[in-house]
Amino acid sequence: MNIRKLAWKNLLRRKSRALFTGLGIFLGIGTFVALASLTGQMRQAVQDKLDRFGANILVVPRTDELSLGFGDISLGGTQVARAKLTMEDEKAIRSIPLKERLRLVVPFFLTAADASGKDIVWMGMPAQEIPSARPWWKASGSMKLGKGEVLLGSEAAARLDMGPGGTVTSGGRTFRVAGALAPTGEKEDGMVISGIDDVQALARKPGAVTFYEVAALCKDCPVEDIVTQIGGALPGARVSAIRQVVESRKAAVDQFRRLGLGVSAIVLAIGGLMVFVTVMGSVQERTREIGVLRAVGFRRKAILSLLLWETGWISLISSVTGASIGIAAAILVAPLFGMARTGAALPPAILGVAIGMALGLLGAVPPARKAAALSPTAAIRSL
Amino acid sequence: MEPLIRLESVAMLYGDNGTSAAALRGITLSIEKGEYVGITGESGAGKSTLLTILGGLQVPTSGSVRFDGVDARSLTQDQLADLRRESIGFVFQAYNLLPYLTARENVMVPMSPVRMGSGEKEEKANALLASVGLSGKEHRLPSELSGGECQRVAIARALVHDPSVLLADEPTGNLDTASGEQILDLFSEWNARGKTVLMVTHNPANLARATRSLRLRDGQVEEDRALRFLPAGPAAV
Repeated sequence: MNIRKLAWKNLLRRKSRALFTGLGIFLGIGTFVALASLTGQMRQAVQDKLDRFGANILVVPRTDELSLGFGDISLGGTQVARAKLTMEDEKAIRSIPLKERLRLVVPFFLTAADASGKDIVWMGMPAQEIPSARPWWKASGSMKLGKGEVLLGSEAAARLDMGPGGTVTSGGRTFRVAGALAPTGEKEDGMVISGIDDVQALARKPGAVTFYEVAALCKDCPVEDIVTQIGGALPGARVSAIRQVVESRKAAVDQFRRLGLGVSAIVLAIGGLMVFVTVMGSVQERTREIGVLRAVGFRRKAILSLLLWETGWISLISSVTGASIGIAAAILVAPLFGMARTGAALPPAILGVAIGMALGLLGAVPPARKAAALSPTAAIRSL
Repeated sequence: MEPLIRLESVAMLYGDNGTSAAALRGITLSIEKGEYVGITGESGAGKSTLLTILGGLQVPTSGSVRFDGVDARSLTQDQLADLRRESIGFVFQAYNLLPYLTARENVMVPMSPVRMGSGEKEEKANALLASVGLSGKEHRLPSELSGGECQRVAIARALVHDPSVLLADEPTGNLDTASGEQILDLFSEWNARGKTVLMVTHNPANLARATRSLRLRDGQVEEDRALRFLPAGPAAV
């Protein structure tokens, strides 16, 4: 017989109380582990989806500001590109060390040109990249662009009074309207979109590129690293992360983590409170027993140790059980959140058991200290 | 030579200043090694309070208590706990066994905080249970034992550290006459080995085995008389 065994025996005797004490930790740790595993998977899934939704890096030619004026008369300024981007630059972009992270590298070419007698900006991009580079576009008619076909932005369609099936003439060529885009709120609403070759030909600038949009998978690597590497590959280009996109993705992912942490903290606090209340109740109920133990020579430390061992056993068992159930629950419900069923996530489980032990012991310290401080006089009066 | 326990002008008040009640009023007495003292008195005379002070369970409101010449006030709570564990055994009227432990485990409880092999603890507990006539009942729970058997387990528990003093508060109060006699026999055996027994009792018949009678009244010693002389020899030292 030692204090550890005495604590264990007492737990077996008060099974329902032990069960109730452990229930708080079990629920707290189970919820924590399930949420931590789920939010971990969700963060990954959300990040993957966000990374696949549009670009997060923009590559434009490096420009110099040229101010125009004569004497005191200012005529404003203009930007002069030091180097121009070409279709060949895509190869350079795709050769950076983090090239595996590059999901999309899409060249765009913009030019102002006549469209059926109206000046309109034409935007050229590889037709096959439209679904992945602009997945949010919706169009009446077809989104598939063939040679000599165009899509009209919503405002452009209104200006030209044209819809799918119509034709647009420009530079002596006739383009068939494959579809008209629904409003996007972006500048492309006022543009005619066509295959990049067609627009380059229209501007008589074959191979020219106005800018590149790059979609990088930034999980586990900062977008700045990719920006730096592309900048190194294209010295004449200005490469910048689209900060708004990066930050909004980060914010969306952080929301999940904060939600998980918040709910877990609440459940854990309730669990801790349950431990405190049940152990406090146990101390009051066991004044007589504590008196006997004090009478037979238990020091205060031994009483403290006895109660902490009791809670330690409960905490260990309920934490391990809670963590196991939490992992199982996370695996089972993952498909409900649109995620693939993955294996057990051990780090949250290990952290959960550690938190459960700490929570149980911390919750038991005040009542255990109270029990240890109980004078034999007070305890003995109940004998 | 220092007495085993020495009380000087010991007073004990319960309650706060406004409503305090005196349980003991200026008691002075000495307990010598090997004595078998029967403490009697009406209910509320202060018998149990005196016993808890003699056992180091409480420190009096005023006056001094010395154990083997050491002032109880100079001892910390932990030192008092050590004193109780090593030198004093308690036997209560209601046995106060832990109901979820077997007879053997109850006897082993005072050894729980002590570093000792579990086999050694079990052997010691078995031997003590055998000495109080409970061989073969080591694995019984208190609920499976009679009142007399429970009290014998409690005595075995009190003797586990071979204390020099055994304090008993109405040890036969809950027992039938035959069981009570068996308990008193055990106390006599213990006393015959030179150990001190202090027993609170309501039953004058229990004093027959005592060497000294202390009668309390209203928190004071009304009568302190020798019933028989201590036998001379090493056992009495």
